[in-house]
Amino acid sequence: MKVSEAMIRDVSTIFEDETIEDFIIFCLRQNKSGLPVVDEEFRVVGFLSESDIIKSALPSYFSLLQSASFIPDTHQFVIRLGKIKDDQVSQHMVKPPVLIKPDDTVIYAADLLIKNGLKIIPVVDDEGKLMGIINRIYLIHAATQGKIDR
Amino acid sequence: MNVLTVTLNPALDREIVVENFRINEFHRVKNPRYSVMDPGGKGINVSVILSGLGIRNVAMGFLGGNIGKVVEERMRMISDLITTGFVHVEEETRENIAIVDPLGDTITEINSSGPLIKPDDLRMFLRRFEVTLSRVRHVVISGSIPRGVDNDIYMTLCKKVTDTGKLAFAEGIGPAFEMAVEAGVITVARPDLRSRKLIFGESLVDFNDYVKAAKKIIEKGSKLAILSYATEGDVIATQDGVWLFKTKSHIDRSHLLGTGDAFMAGVVHSMIENEKDCFLAAKKGMSAAIAEAEYISKELISLEDIDEHMDSFDIRELE
Repeated sequence: MKVSEAMIRDVSTIFEDETIEDFIIFCLRQNKSGLPVVDEEFRVVGFLSESDIIKSALPSYFSLLQSASFIPDTHQFVIRLGKIKDDQVSQHMVKPPVLIKPDDTVIYAADLLIKNGLKIIPVVDDEGKLMGIINRIYLIHAATQGKIDR
Repeated sequence: MNVLTVTLNPALDREIVVENFRINEFHRVKNPRYSVMDPGGKGINVSVILSGLGIRNVAMGFLGGNIGKVVEERMRMISDLITTGFVHVEEETRENIAIVDPLGDTITEINSSGPLIKPDDLRMFLRRFEVTLSRVRHVVISGSIPRGVDNDIYMTLCKKVTDTGKLAFAEGIGPAFEMAVEAGVITVARPDLRSRKLIFGESLVDFNDYVKAAKKIIEKGSKLAILSYATEGDVIATQDGVWLFKTKSHIDRSHLLGTGDAFMAGVVHSMIENEKDCFLAAKKGMSAAIAEAEYISKELISLEDIDEHMDSFDIRELE
């Protein structure tokens, strides 16, 4: 089975110079956890997820801690979120993004999702322009339908 | 991707078939198939019909709330050839309710007004429209204008299309549509005369009024004008002349749902293949509309359906 058979043909996206607040509103309204980031040519230049926002709003040493209870002042998180909300998306996105082509197999897509701990991968054409996305639940659904090996 | 359709005020279309429908009376829908939900709004309808004709397209506009999500999901379920790229807004997408009575030969329609579009929503849409425009050649802009959007929106969008040498197909009514016609930025113009037969401040009463309006649209710069005349006719104008297309057989009013959008889809499909021949495009549009009229509800017509109906109407040259 190819990615083109399992992908969601939706090109909802965020531009690299739009703000973190724009991103949050987009995700809330569309019930999404992340969006491909594109340039003016519609090429995917990054990916931004809610996890990336949380990482940006936490102190840099947080990854070394076992629990959020070790953070001296959790209010810091809220303050920092307020500070980054007007930042450009490009300042917090993951780049280069993990991308996939419509002719790739869904097995390869599943491999990328698992190895990189992702929920969504943008699907792009040969020029790197956004065509849609592939996500975990669609792949799981395809697997339960026995379509993966086709 | 060949085509971009814009529906600024999409809807969830709920179509209910009720025999002998009467106001102020209780009715029960006899067959579950006669109570259906479909993604709606004129541009979306064109997207769906184009997908049935094998044309890959991207649908844009504004959606909101849970109804908006249903519209988007259903569009993608209809065909792999439709890509969605809507800007989601705070308020809920509207619903259009149509009560079709095949025995009484009536359609009763109730359309709600739709969400408020805020300046930020419009700004985000315009940017995405411009970027998407670079990937297509044919743009369909069709339907009503939502609250919060100025009347110059049709003109603004169509101008962006024609300024880049691309083709703008527009169907609408009122100041927004007329402003775009006057600016000469619509390639194919089809006034939506369902709710009121009024254009350029003048009521369309007799046949000559339709011919005059069609000619005025061409004088302003459009390549093709299409005006629905009575139930079974269309006045067609190009830079080469004016014609009346009239169906050879009777079409029930209850079968008119979606025929206008099928007409536009037929025109777009023809102009993708043969951009210069507007008269041929009008004929293909008319065939598509007649093919659609064979169904009581919105159905996906095929290219074969269009070809079959190329002789289902008479053509009379007027000028």
